[in-house]
Amino acid sequence: MNLSFDPWVWIGALLTLAIFSFLYRDNPFYKVAEHIFVGVSNGYAVTFYYHLILVPTLFNPLFRGRFILIIPFIIGALYFTRFIPKISWLVRIPIGILMGYGIGASIPATIQAYIIKQVQGTILTPYNFQRWHAGSTGIVWSIILFLGVICVVSYFYFSREQKGILKVTSRIGIFFVMIGFGAAFGYTVMARVSLLIGRLQFLLGTWLGIIK
Amino acid sequence: MSFMDRMLKIDRRIIYLILAVVVILPMLFNSPLSVRVMDPVQKLFNAVESIPPDKAMIVNFEYDPRDVPELQPMALSILRHAFTRRIKILVLCLYVQPLGMAQSALTQITEEFNKNAKSNADSILYGRDHVFLGWQPPPLVPILGMGESIANVYKTDYYGNQTDTLPLMKHVKNYRNVGLLISLSSSDVPRYWIEYAQNRFGLKVGAGVTAVSGSEFYSYLQTGQFSGLMVGMKGAAEYEEMIAKELHIKARRKASESMPSLTYAHLVMIAFIIIGNIGYFARRRKK
Repeated sequence: MNLSFDPWVWIGALLTLAIFSFLYRDNPFYKVAEHIFVGVSNGYAVTFYYHLILVPTLFNPLFRGRFILIIPFIIGALYFTRFIPKISWLVRIPIGILMGYGIGASIPATIQAYIIKQVQGTILTPYNFQRWHAGSTGIVWSIILFLGVICVVSYFYFSREQKGILKVTSRIGIFFVMIGFGAAFGYTVMARVSLLIGRLQFLLGTWLGIIK
Repeated sequence: MSFMDRMLKIDRRIIYLILAVVVILPMLFNSPLSVRVMDPVQKLFNAVESIPPDKAMIVNFEYDPRDVPELQPMALSILRHAFTRRIKILVLCLYVQPLGMAQSALTQITEEFNKNAKSNADSILYGRDHVFLGWQPPPLVPILGMGESIANVYKTDYYGNQTDTLPLMKHVKNYRNVGLLISLSSSDVPRYWIEYAQNRFGLKVGAGVTAVSGSEFYSYLQTGQFSGLMVGMKGAAEYEEMIAKELHIKARRKASESMPSLTYAHLVMIAFIIIGNIGYFARRRKK
């Protein structure tokens, strides 16, 4: 055992234990650790944004004579008009600019990346069979994928009553949806256990020195 | 109360305790588990291998301390791989929080390589072999801007040096000089690179993501939008296996060391799910 004498490691370890104590039941140690976490995160973010955005990209150039930056400064400052009821409507200006910029930039890119490319990936072509790099079984996987997409889409088709062929495909679609949920849940378990492993490695290794 | 009823009412604290025991015990008997490398990780490894000598690689760090167990081993393996193959690296972040993670990984790996270096040519030098560009908000600006000029977007690097004065940046002007970008992320960021950098500039993109978001990214691998993909701690362990097997790199394999704990924890979870379902169906039948 090689106990750490670093006070920061001790603070980290005690706060980790305080958070873990919630697994037993809610308690004051957990509350303290939770509040410290929220406070430190916000303090860190505010300080960082001030020193790494406002100072170098706005205040410094402004004081060096780039007065054009007053325009974005005023537009940004309009966000704070929310706190003054009489002129709170002015907040729509920065929100409108931000939305216009974001939507204008993202719509063509989103259609290309998330719709056209994804539809292309589903279409049965010899090229797509090769994509799987799975030898002769590539064709099988491509067909399963194709059928899966058709069936799941038909499950979410609500403009007609689901009977006849639509009923069959939508039933099959549910199986695909469930497999998707199962995969997502399995991965979530893996992620959470990984986080637990990380914390235990810190407690047993960095803090207590029991493991390497 | 029957056995099944008792199984359905296990106190959650007992489940936590059992989980803690099965995670801790394998850690005490440190034995990295050899893992089978799957196709998505193999593809990513091949994508790094196929970067032309005249092109650089961008490593984008987008995770905070919470995701270190999953993503830091990926970062270390990618950096080891690139430095072993003498691939030039640009490191950058789109958000503030990952800066510390990026710096820590770069420092660890450059020290590891420079410890064994016998000459200046063997060493990994800042400015010549890698550059840490730091952080430039908001995300869309650097992603689109770097397609025209990297030095225009990142006028100074993380340490305050003028970017265009660094030797590496004289050869790496924009995406045309970048062979691959790998985004190590716990959020949606790898998709931004596809959406803007790949669509518009044809940049090759690979990703390393947390397990919780893993299932969302596989469809981009199937369409070829991702050149390769690592998912969670298992993906990190697979990449560690690749660089150990193919490049004979003997370094600590933190993700592989965690595989026994992860495996046993999964088995416990599966056991509890089966017990819960048997109990549920048994009780329903009784009713």
